[in-house]
Amino acid sequence: MKSLTAAGPAALLLAAGLLSYPVVFSDPYYLDIGVTFLLAAISASAWNVVGGYAGQVSVGHSMFFGIGAYAPLLFYTLFKWPPMVGIPVGIAVSVALAVVIGVPTFRLTGHYFSMATIAVAELIRIFFGTWNLVGAAIGLQGPATARGWWDLTFRSELPYYYIFLAVLALLLYFTFAVERRRFGYYLRAIKAGERASRSLGVPVQQTKIKALIFSAAFTSVAGSLYSIKTGFIDPESGFGILVSVQMVIIAALGGAGTLFGPLVGALILIPLQTATNTWFGGGGSGLTYILYGGIIVVIARFEPGGVFELWDRIVPRRWRRKYAA
Amino acid sequence: MLLEAQAVTKAFDSFRAVSDADIAVEEGEIVGLIGPNGAGKSTFFNCLAGDMVPTAGRIAFAGEDVTRASPEAHARIGVGRTFQVPATFEDMSVLDNVMVGAYLRHPHRNDAREHARRIIELTGLKGQMDQWARSLGTPGRKRLEIARVLATSPRLMLLDESLAGLTPTELQEAIALVRTIHEMGVTIVIVEHIMEVIMTLTKRVLVFNQGHVIASGKPEDVVKDEAVIEAYLGRGQHIRRERRQ
Repeated sequence: MKSLTAAGPAALLLAAGLLSYPVVFSDPYYLDIGVTFLLAAISASAWNVVGGYAGQVSVGHSMFFGIGAYAPLLFYTLFKWPPMVGIPVGIAVSVALAVVIGVPTFRLTGHYFSMATIAVAELIRIFFGTWNLVGAAIGLQGPATARGWWDLTFRSELPYYYIFLAVLALLLYFTFAVERRRFGYYLRAIKAGERASRSLGVPVQQTKIKALIFSAAFTSVAGSLYSIKTGFIDPESGFGILVSVQMVIIAALGGAGTLFGPLVGALILIPLQTATNTWFGGGGSGLTYILYGGIIVVIARFEPGGVFELWDRIVPRRWRRKYAA
Repeated sequence: MLLEAQAVTKAFDSFRAVSDADIAVEEGEIVGLIGPNGAGKSTFFNCLAGDMVPTAGRIAFAGEDVTRASPEAHARIGVGRTFQVPATFEDMSVLDNVMVGAYLRHPHRNDAREHARRIIELTGLKGQMDQWARSLGTPGRKRLEIARVLATSPRLMLLDESLAGLTPTELQEAIALVRTIHEMGVTIVIVEHIMEVIMTLTKRVLVFNQGHVIASGKPEDVVKDEAVIEAYLGRGQHIRRERRQ
């Protein structure tokens, strides 16, 4: 309620900034950072529904991202169909997986749930690494040159930028709608206390699974967008643990369980990550681990609520009350 | 009979926290559950609320067997409960806390909010409506718990020491609140240590000791019961008298 009214003008500013970014920074290097940022923001916002609002910290969301990423390129490889045919298929498989995974793992709480999700994602990664139909360890490739617009294979990053931005806007709009509905209240209640929630008639298990389905569907879309844009996917870039950890870190950095938290987190992490990778060159991926580790330490030590909480603490109460009223 | 529990037993390994306990509550009653610490009141309470499945025995609510029903099913059929240690949703506002309860019978946001506002006004939390639950003190939290349950429109409310830890003035206000809720037609079962609450609110009490119901009846009679004095009240009254002197 507070974040909503206070964030109103800020959101408009942000939207204007995002819309005009490619115009201001038309250089391909900066455009690529923008596209990477949007993709990270979509994944983290999708994770946020179940990991942030409902407080069920999944560290295995790469399972949905990977499925979403493989589906388009698999259809292209097998039947030469336009990759985007794979998007709904990826969603369907991810949703099915969410139900199958959700029923047993949601009986676990806290760390046990997180560990179970890591285990499942790793199993799928290893399985894809040996499965010949999906290219085993080598992975899959998309169309090298576009046969038409429907292949969504563009030379410039510009079309991707606006497609991704539209998906992000749609996801945030849905999340905003969820936040205001009974479903959203139930999610926050579950995070605050399962026992008390149940005593008030909140169908905890069912609500968690619904949240995971919503989250899985959008994470899958993020994966599809990634592989369609990159034209390549392998077990590590689809199902690797870094994919999952990145979603968690971005959401936690910005503020898990807030509408714009993941977006703010991506706004900080992605430029930072790109910069460190550029400065230190080749040893990039190892450095990513170090960066993530450092961020985890800083968040855990100084501000478990993320940047949004920091805002709560820094901005004087009186000043905020004006918005809250 | 609104609530009827027969021969309820709850054992943890070899320890029987509740042993062969019965309770029968008519619609419109206020029934007290008393007994020394560790007597099994809360365990029995948790069985009645669906939070624990009894090892043996049968519990029926409004003629329906609810022995194995989940806590959320209990809430749906009209059994609401508070917790001994308030379990308010700390990072949500008072209004949002109550709205979670209100959503049970009012699926739409505006209806739920309107209902929650009415309940908040009734429970005297109007001034704190937009505060975080975590900013409330103990009395506020206990009130919020009651408000949240009340928002689910229960037929039966199980209050687990909801009036403990209050100052004399707060206690009087809380007793008045329980009365108001009762007058709204809600049947109440109340676990309480404070005899003043039991004496003023209830017409019938059950006394627990070591997992057994050792006495039941009018509070003024139970207080005179030898077994009860022996088990619990004797010592309590004795200390009370000492304090007054």
